[in-house]
Amino acid sequence: MSFREKSAWVMSVVMVVTGLLYAWLVQAAPQAPVIAPLLPYVLAVTALSVVVQIVLALHSPSEASAPLDERERNVAARAGQISGIVLAIAVMLSGAVYVLFPEGNMLFHHLLGALIVAQFVDYAAQIWLLRRGY
Amino acid sequence: MAKRPPITNRVRELREANGAISQAALGEAVGVTRQTIIAIEQGRYSPSLETSFRIARLFGVGLEDVFGWEGD
Repeated sequence: MSFREKSAWVMSVVMVVTGLLYAWLVQAAPQAPVIAPLLPYVLAVTALSVVVQIVLALHSPSEASAPLDERERNVAARAGQISGIVLAIAVMLSGAVYVLFPEGNMLFHHLLGALIVAQFVDYAAQIWLLRRGY
Repeated sequence: MAKRPPITNRVRELREANGAISQAALGEAVGVTRQTIIAIEQGRYSPSLETSFRIARLFGVGLEDVFGWEGD
């Protein structure tokens, strides 16, 4: 498995774990100021991302420092295109929910959720494209 | 599953005929990763024109000696 694929697998897990943490924090105190769930989420996603990338880089230092090759660049572009569509749909859904239930905090949470889901889809698409060919 | 490109290649054959150069070494010589060479050999990825030329030149053959169109 290439470094890029390992990285995508690990980061997709980080997105799921931290996304669930965020959802749990919001569900536990839905009326709390948005900073209450946001701060621990940002800290967790930043710390976990840095740690897993360091561990991966220590295992494959040459691959980690190498730039993307042409196939990896194509895969990244296609995955970005797919996740962009997912993000657009999720943002529109968040807007629709806000029209029906105009609550600012929930709009913020839905939009952040849209970003998390889109980022997860980006990593998942990278894995799929790297494994199945592109 | 992604559609396979209709391009065939003799990269593995040429690699083996040229001192069994490894996929990693070939990748390094033409500027792609070992995984990309594997994908090319398995017909899952069609390299760019530049990489195709680099591969052909490395083996000292013409482009059409390395790559072909399926069915030709």
